[in-house]
Amino acid sequence: MKYINIDKKNWASGLENLYGNYRLFGPVKNNKHHVLKELGKGELPDLNYINTLLSPKSIVFPQSETMFEYSLDESKEDHHILKEINKDYSPRALIGIRPCDAASFLLVKRNFDTPEYKDPYWLSAYEATICIGLACSNPCSTCFCTSAGCGPFHEDGLDLLLVDEGENFIAKILTPRGENFIKSAGWKTEADHMAAKKTIKNMKMKAEEKIASFVSTDQLKNKSTIDLYGAPFWEKIAFACINCGTCTYGCPTCWCFDIQDEVSKSSGIRMRNWDSCMYPLFTLHGTGYNPRNTKVQRVRQRFMHKLKYYVDKYGDGIQCVGCGRCIRLCPVNIDIRRVCDIMNNYDSRSRLET
Amino acid sequence: MSDYTAKIKEISARLLKEEKVEMVIGFRKGTVPMMNEPCFVKTPEDVKELVWDSNCGINLANYLTDRKEKIGIIAKGCDSRNIVTHIIENKVKREQLLIIGVPCKGMIDKNKITSMFENEINEVLEDEENIIVKGKVFEKTLNKNDVLQENCKICIHRNPVISDELAADLLDEQKDIDRYEDVRKIEAMATEDKWKYFEDLLSPCIRCYACRNACPLCYCPTCFVDESRPQWVGKSLDPTDTRTFHFLRAYHCAGRCTDCGACERACPMGIKVRMFTKKLEKDCLELYGWEAGLSLDERPPLDTYRPNDPEDFIK
Amino acid sequence: MKDWEPRIVGFLCNWCTYGAADLAGISRMQYPPNVKAIRIPCTGRMSPKFILAAFMKGADGVWVSGCHPGDCHYLEGNYYARRKFALFKNLIEYMGIEPGRLHFSWISSAESTKFASTVKEVTSAVKALGPRKHGIKKAFTVNS
Repeated sequence: MKYINIDKKNWASGLENLYGNYRLFGPVKNNKHHVLKELGKGELPDLNYINTLLSPKSIVFPQSETMFEYSLDESKEDHHILKEINKDYSPRALIGIRPCDAASFLLVKRNFDTPEYKDPYWLSAYEATICIGLACSNPCSTCFCTSAGCGPFHEDGLDLLLVDEGENFIAKILTPRGENFIKSAGWKTEADHMAAKKTIKNMKMKAEEKIASFVSTDQLKNKSTIDLYGAPFWEKIAFACINCGTCTYGCPTCWCFDIQDEVSKSSGIRMRNWDSCMYPLFTLHGTGYNPRNTKVQRVRQRFMHKLKYYVDKYGDGIQCVGCGRCIRLCPVNIDIRRVCDIMNNYDSRSRLET
Repeated sequence: MSDYTAKIKEISARLLKEEKVEMVIGFRKGTVPMMNEPCFVKTPEDVKELVWDSNCGINLANYLTDRKEKIGIIAKGCDSRNIVTHIIENKVKREQLLIIGVPCKGMIDKNKITSMFENEINEVLEDEENIIVKGKVFEKTLNKNDVLQENCKICIHRNPVISDELAADLLDEQKDIDRYEDVRKIEAMATEDKWKYFEDLLSPCIRCYACRNACPLCYCPTCFVDESRPQWVGKSLDPTDTRTFHFLRAYHCAGRCTDCGACERACPMGIKVRMFTKKLEKDCLELYGWEAGLSLDERPPLDTYRPNDPEDFIK
Repeated sequence: MKDWEPRIVGFLCNWCTYGAADLAGISRMQYPPNVKAIRIPCTGRMSPKFILAAFMKGADGVWVSGCHPGDCHYLEGNYYARRKFALFKNLIEYMGIEPGRLHFSWISSAESTKFASTVKEVTSAVKALGPRKHGIKKAFTVNS
């Protein structure tokens, strides 16, 4: 494992060198929030931030993505044939992505990259993306990453971890792709291995101590799915929900989408758009029957998927990295930490109420 | 505010104990600063959950739609106006409801307060006039009136318009308020600037429909955005579709909107979505002398007409 | 741009303006061919979605015409419509569509002269504005 010292004086010039070799994405403050956007030439990411308002999933999995185009004009030779759309899968770098968000890509990958099915769009974009993480020294009060299988200095899913030391960054190279990135930027000063390791270890400990909120997930696997599904607490949990898509759209690990055709005159496109289990249309059948017709059913689905079905299916914890966005963005303050604990502590025999 | 909470608890417990209602709909303390969660309580013991403070901006009338129980509901001025609208639109029956009216001193603007501080806010306390904002390394006292939600600042119906119980004495209503200064500003713009204004306004929209769903007026079984034959609005982030959605959402609220601000409060991207509904509200007042939700006996403006309604725009 | 001709969608009430169009035709009156007529049962049936859909699909102008107040075949459909149109027109202009793109009129089935003159008036108003710059739904949004 190699450590590089990046003097902040060389930060801008390094990015300048990278520009052209990579499409650079980073957090930028608009008038209200930090948002992730593609950086223009000379534009610097603002790394003095807690986290972006929405997750970076749209960089790999855009909210609307055109997949095919076609023509219905029968005078054309290739009418009624779906044609793939050329896309830019040249290397792109997410600069300053938080470790929780990078870890989320690995959770989502389980869905888009299976032995049976491989999602070409997601995979191509993901493979083109390198994640330059920025360790979180000041996690916020809604972060519960450490109990969601992740952490402020978590390395899984990252190619490079930047640790801010004030005057300089320590860059911990985690993959060959990360190494190439560093080379391409021209940051060469190697840091003292032992010292860097020690600094990071200390800062990591301090950051983890600052995490103030937790979820308990240890019992989820042992619970009976039927018991949880039929538990009486859902009515109360779901009551406030207005069934908007804010939680799912903000979530880095929500991966559901819907495929739509749009035709204008004789030309058409086939695209996919984010969908949300909060919407009635998500499960509406062609017959008009809707198996999840009520709010309670839909809210239950969201939490059961993240905290039970996923846990059972993959045996590797919950489908959540603890970024806290759904808590911060929910218009009616439905808090996944509260729901997770209720589910984890639920005992169908004693019917513990919420 | 603590007297409000105490009184609300007392009334709610009484109504539940005397079995006058099956549930009381109100707020419980939120898990993050400046947020409370709408909730229901069904037993007198559970009323301890209920709270009232300046973070109860969600419109509770939204939770009455098509319910069949006998319900006690906490209602500030705007909620009560939306309850009236719900009753005249047959979404709930007056006889089902025991309305616990709350003369409202305004709700605070979470987005505004958050944007005033560089660092995270960990706790927000309040007294009669002040909001005390605390972070890890700072503490600041703000004048509550300076950080009210925009719609609360210009509110002229703070007292509930119908109620069966009151949680506090009625307040003096604000007088001489210019409610439409911002709308007039846009009206005065050139066409091209208007287009640009709304393009910028809507550019962050992610089509999550929080504005629609937070609104008590939006209860159609199938919303026009979900209709597919014909499909009026596309599902992507195409700006034309987004604009059409916001246009129609607002238009569907014409003559019904009480400017409760729930839509704007709900928006995760901080878009001022009231800029659409306020225009309609202004026009309804100017053209038809109408303010929504003030009376159970009058039909809303688009459900009635006068033979001599204005028509200078018709050839 | 000299040769440019606007496309205008006309929503015409079956019981009056549509009849006026017929009468104008039978009487061989001359008027511009820019209006594509869509017959509706009553202006009360007009949904705001129809107007928005026309604009989204590229109409340069929209014109809605029905019976004079008091003459509605269904007694009061146009009274309700009048209120809807007033709010609609104000809102769409407020959001940045030129006032000259959306027109309303009352034309009875006997008023073929008014029909022809209104078509002229609407067409020249829309023509003066030129093609739409905004708000037409494009077919392709390619992204990567």
